[in-house]
Amino acid sequence: MKVLHQSQFFTSYQCDKQRCFFIEFPHKTIQLGFCQFLAFRQQVKEIDLDSHFNGQNPHGLEMLMLCNRQHFFVFNTLECIDLKEFITGSFAMLELNSLLTNSV
Amino acid sequence: MKDLVRQNLSIHVDVMDLLNKQIEKEAHSSSAYLAMASWCDHNALSYSADFFYEQAAEEREHMMKIFRFINDNGGTAYSPEVSGVNHDFKSLEEIFETALDQEIAITKAIHNIVGKCRKLNDYTTEYFLQWFIAEQMEEEQTMRRALELFDLMGTEGLGLKLLDERIPQIRDKRAE
Repeated sequence: MKVLHQSQFFTSYQCDKQRCFFIEFPHKTIQLGFCQFLAFRQQVKEIDLDSHFNGQNPHGLEMLMLCNRQHFFVFNTLECIDLKEFITGSFAMLELNSLLTNSV
Repeated sequence: MKDLVRQNLSIHVDVMDLLNKQIEKEAHSSSAYLAMASWCDHNALSYSADFFYEQAAEEREHMMKIFRFINDNGGTAYSPEVSGVNHDFKSLEEIFETALDQEIAITKAIHNIVGKCRKLNDYTTEYFLQWFIAEQMEEEQTMRRALELFDLMGTEGLGLKLLDERIPQIRDKRAE
């Protein structure tokens, strides 16, 4: 299993043998297929960070369900900011890997 | 490290995002045409109403084409939310002008995705979008033909009714 990207709170891994990804959250690690990873990315993209600061989301929490509702997460504002960076970074690494694979 | 993204997805992730945005645009366009059809129906312009009902169905077909393309190629298509559809119009001419503007916006969005495909070497999507480029050219021509009718016939007195009766022909001409 190889590390794709690490942010302050989260780490993503790729497992070639199982052809899947793993994400390490502070309290647990979950396994995701590519489609599930894409779905997670979409959910994170849809988080409106502005609402955490303009009073629309006063509690500053986001709830996400992953992998066909197998996992349920609650993230605070700091984690949400980190999550956005984490997803961008993970997919940037995946693209970099694609470019490297193409050039070899 | 294996290229798991490429193994699962035939199109570029960034292009997939743009295609999902395009799905939203096509869905909005379909709903906008439906609102136009409704206005025409209420104003006894039944030929124009039929024309816009057909346009609405066509835009939905375009949306579904993109929707299936994303899913068929390993991506995830998202069902769009549609809001902010305008139902207030001043005249039939305004409706056709709005329709032309809408088609131009869709054309620009398609061209933008093709540009992105070229930048990212996503030839699969570029090839898929060629059909849309030709289709948009035809859509714009249809709307322009409708607006030409307003210049030729005017909308005074019986003019509007006669113009309405000519609307199905702008589509027939397209089919030739």
